[in-house]
Amino acid sequence: MLPPFALERPDRLEDALALIGDDCLPYCGGTELLMAMKLNVLRPSCLVDLKGIAALARVEWRGDSLVIGGAVRHASLAADAEISRSLAVLTVVEQRVGNARVRTQGSIGGNLCFAEPRSDVATLLAALGASITLASSTGQRRIAITDFVLGAYETVREPTELLVEVLVPSARLKSGVYLKHQYAERPTVGVALVREGENGVWRLAVGAVGDVPIVIEVSSLDEIDAEAVADMTDPIEDISGGVDYKQHLVAVYVRRAVQAAAEDLGA
Amino acid sequence: MPDLEPGQTHLHAGRSVLRPDLIEKVTGAAQYCVDIRRSGMLHAKIVRSRRAHARIASIDTSAARAMSGVVAVIVASDLAGLFARFGHIVPDHEILASGKVRYYGEPVAIVVADTEAAASDALDYVDVDYEDLPAVMSAEEALAPGAPLVHEEQHRRVDVDSLSPVETGADQGELRTSNVAHEATLEWGDVDSVWPVAAAVVENRMHYPMLYAYAMEPYNAVASFDEGRLEVDSTAQHPFMVRDDLARIFSLPLAAVTVRAPYLGGGYGSKSYTKVEPLAAVASWRTGRPVKLVLDVEESIYTTRADSAEVHVRSAFDDQGHILAREIDIVMDSGAYADNSPLVVAKSVNRSFGPYRVPNLRVRGRSVYTNTSPASSYRGFGAPQGVLAGETNLEQAADRLGIDSAELRRRNLVRPGEEILHGKRGIDADLPADLEMVVGALREHAPEDQSWFASAMACSASDAGAFPVSTATVRVQADGSVIVLSGSTEMGQGSRSALAQIAAEELRVELRVVTVRQSDTGATAYERTTGASRTTTLTGLALQRACQDALSKLRSMAAEVKGCSADEIAPSPAGFALPGGDTISYGEVVRSWFGAAAGEVTGIGLLRREGATAKMPPFWEIGMIGVGCRIDPATGAIAVEQLVTVGDVGFAINPQAVEAQDLGAATQGLGCALFEELLYDGPQLMNPNIVDYRVPRMRDLPGRIDAMLAERRDGVGPYGAKGSGEGALNPIAAAVATAVARVVGRWPDRVPLTPERVWRLINETGPDDTTGDRSSPREG
Ligand SMILES: Cc1cc2nc3c(=O)[nH]c(=O)nc-3n(C[C@H](O)[C@H](O)[C@H](O)COP(=O)(O)OP(=O)(O)OC[C@H]3O[C@@H](n4cnc5c(N)ncnc54)[C@H](O)[C@@H]3O)c2cc1C
Repeated sequence: MLPPFALERPDRLEDALALIGDDCLPYCGGTELLMAMKLNVLRPSCLVDLKGIAALARVEWRGDSLVIGGAVRHASLAADAEISRSLAVLTVVEQRVGNARVRTQGSIGGNLCFAEPRSDVATLLAALGASITLASSTGQRRIAITDFVLGAYETVREPTELLVEVLVPSARLKSGVYLKHQYAERPTVGVALVREGENGVWRLAVGAVGDVPIVIEVSSLDEIDAEAVADMTDPIEDISGGVDYKQHLVAVYVRRAVQAAAEDLGA
Repeated sequence: MPDLEPGQTHLHAGRSVLRPDLIEKVTGAAQYCVDIRRSGMLHAKIVRSRRAHARIASIDTSAARAMSGVVAVIVASDLAGLFARFGHIVPDHEILASGKVRYYGEPVAIVVADTEAAASDALDYVDVDYEDLPAVMSAEEALAPGAPLVHEEQHRRVDVDSLSPVETGADQGELRTSNVAHEATLEWGDVDSVWPVAAAVVENRMHYPMLYAYAMEPYNAVASFDEGRLEVDSTAQHPFMVRDDLARIFSLPLAAVTVRAPYLGGGYGSKSYTKVEPLAAVASWRTGRPVKLVLDVEESIYTTRADSAEVHVRSAFDDQGHILAREIDIVMDSGAYADNSPLVVAKSVNRSFGPYRVPNLRVRGRSVYTNTSPASSYRGFGAPQGVLAGETNLEQAADRLGIDSAELRRRNLVRPGEEILHGKRGIDADLPADLEMVVGALREHAPEDQSWFASAMACSASDAGAFPVSTATVRVQADGSVIVLSGSTEMGQGSRSALAQIAAEELRVELRVVTVRQSDTGATAYERTTGASRTTTLTGLALQRACQDALSKLRSMAAEVKGCSADEIAPSPAGFALPGGDTISYGEVVRSWFGAAAGEVTGIGLLRREGATAKMPPFWEIGMIGVGCRIDPATGAIAVEQLVTVGDVGFAINPQAVEAQDLGAATQGLGCALFEELLYDGPQLMNPNIVDYRVPRMRDLPGRIDAMLAERRDGVGPYGAKGSGEGALNPIAAAVATAVARVVGRWPDRVPLTPERVWRLINETGPDDTTGDRSSPREG
């Protein structure tokens, strides 16, 4: 059961930043946090609900860059008409995160900060070259997504920092595909393949299979060797598969992603 | 009142009526057990074993007892003076482990506190000192020579067939020599003489997984023990059997114990028999206050699971494909306590060889104790385990003999009326006709793209209905409305509407004036169990009798008040037609007879083993299923694109409910075929939660579903009805396994067929099976 805790519901970012710390955790959808508390893995004395803070709930364009507030829920991103026009690959990912309950409750910030390895969102954002902004009561810092996630359940975020926004640079110029093998509640393998503009480089990210996504940059699709990519991964063996099976899946999905991207080009 | 349309024979029965419980369930207004609170109520949490098998050296409860809000910490020694065990077949199940623990998750102590949080917090302060014992974590280990014993003592066993109550008293002292909890056998003819002369002998082995029934509502109960009376609200499918267990624990008269079961949030067999009620009851007995106990999902998974099974089948055929003999060996891993597993294994024996003419038969089933969580009833009751191996064996035989498997079944299926089990009720169904329905639907809707696709079918027949003991009461009120009392539990299956339909039909009243009240041992009529698909058939029969009893009383009373003879009175809607052309309503009869605007007339219906229900089983439940599966050869993922079910229910009292039962049962069966499996890693489960234990979702439902009904009015129940609810589950894993074998060219030896397993099956090197060529080349 859920142990007792105090609940704070600030509506200003400054107030939230003043509250959070080692024993007072940010709380958004609670899809990970409350489960960890029920299992007694986390036992904070207070939670700071981020859902009332307007500054964290925005989705907006800054020029060609897409800026997503840290508390925006998966379901909102999946339903966002502007995103589906300009960055359809994000829509595809968000529509298929977990299940309906997770999508309506869970936030993009919670997904990234919890750093559960089997994340579609982190994989796609890595391929998109996204970064995040961490804020504390003393200042802000921007970090590339690939530098933010250190390992399973591990990020560079300090307990006094909030993830306030996700920034996808030049999002309007990017296009891509995302494919995943999902057998249980979370993905087994996710592969994102994104192109930086019409003649730009390709960025391939493979996630969910190991602790952190791996990212490879190539100038043409022909350079992608699916077997070699599979060899680069370090799969976690679990109920959804052994190491050899997961590496095989990586190769399959990389091939499929390359094929889908090539078809998109041809279309 | 609905009118009879041409071709309709009944006013209410046979119509897809709106279920009376539907709206309140959908809006959330329905009260479940977990919603019940009592004044002065305390909360219990359970300290559970963290070992698979260990001697309890000591338990120190002092730190926990000193914590704020904690009222009591109860351990086995506090239960002195009680009969501190339960189990309706083998009373081996200790309420709290004494001496030793037999599985990870076993209750060791109860913490009772003012709040749930206080009880939860104190759990870690109960200090249990264990001395590890060697554990047996699988049936194979448990059966090995010299294996450590899970139970040293032999408890007196109840005769499974007579089901006489467990005797109390001196059942200790006898020592066990093996971990076999129960053995069941069935034999006729001479199988051994057949093997040498058969045209083909086909042998296979299948493993059926440990499963969690995943009822949405976990086990919970509120108990209140006061002055030698015990009241319990609980999530019990069989409140009367739970009452019997509780009365024995406290040596109370049955009448002093009340067990009520409100709506259940699903059961699927997992809520049959006693579970958490003794824990809540002893906690109330010790503290003198009402105690509520609510398990979480993980605790529920550790409380009951389905028996996993290793089944070995050997069949002999003549050159025309006629079965000459079948020999089957079933070993079930029943976990640390017997619970209902002896009956599950006995039923598995009966159901494993299929509804075929088998002139020579030998089946042996063993239920084996292991240091894993206790197994008990699960939807299908032994059938799914046996049918998976039996039906895939038949399919392999079809390959070997070069006979289409539908044709092979045609040649062997029993014909209507023919006996499956010698001396038992002949089959009350037309299986060859059901088979053609499946074959036809699969063929008609076969997809154009046949690459990596195959369809398959499987069938089963279960001796269902359980022991026919059932009662029902109807109370006709002074305004002519009707209360039906039944001890059968509404658990989502729609019994509340089916029983209302039967009462309205028999009494010729409108459906809306009938109210059904269920499952209160102190107030409703007695019912042995809610299981084995029996309610509509057996409770339905008892209810018909209760209605006839009420009608005959009302008729005599009408004759008395109208001064005519009962023979002159004829039935009419909601009342009687009198000589001279007048009518009188039931309400008028009641009011005139009592001489006030008051009173009621009670009708009672009793059912036992006699007459139409003398022969066992009361009815056969048919499983006849077809699936079409497509495999992604690169990942091994299976998409079930086609599903065909035949609900051979004799007469569908509520057709929509029957179709929903079939679809639900088939989907649950697909869970086992494709995804579900509880996995042990050392002493504990790897996936005792609903994120890692994968159940079917909406997206997994087949795109094409043909849910058909076969209504031949050949059942013993009301209007020719038979039960439904398990049939479509029983054969479906076998059908999926067969489809996979047809596509891959190799036979799986277990389910669930997870993508990884299918991929390994495809890429296994080794001798191919005989299923012929792959339908398309492998993807690179
Ligand atoms: C059953 C299930 C299935 C799932 N399937 C998928 C899937 O298919 N694909 C996928 O990508 N993901 C999946 N997820 C993960 C899901 O996306 C995340 O659970 C969700 O997005 C977390 O967001 P939340 O708002 O609920 O976080 P919370 O549970 O509220 O918080 C999670 C953690 O992040 C911290 N936190 C939250 N917001 C912030 C912030 N703004 N700044 C700093 N720290 C913060 C909290 O303190 C906590 O430690 C699944 C999760 C579940 C439970």
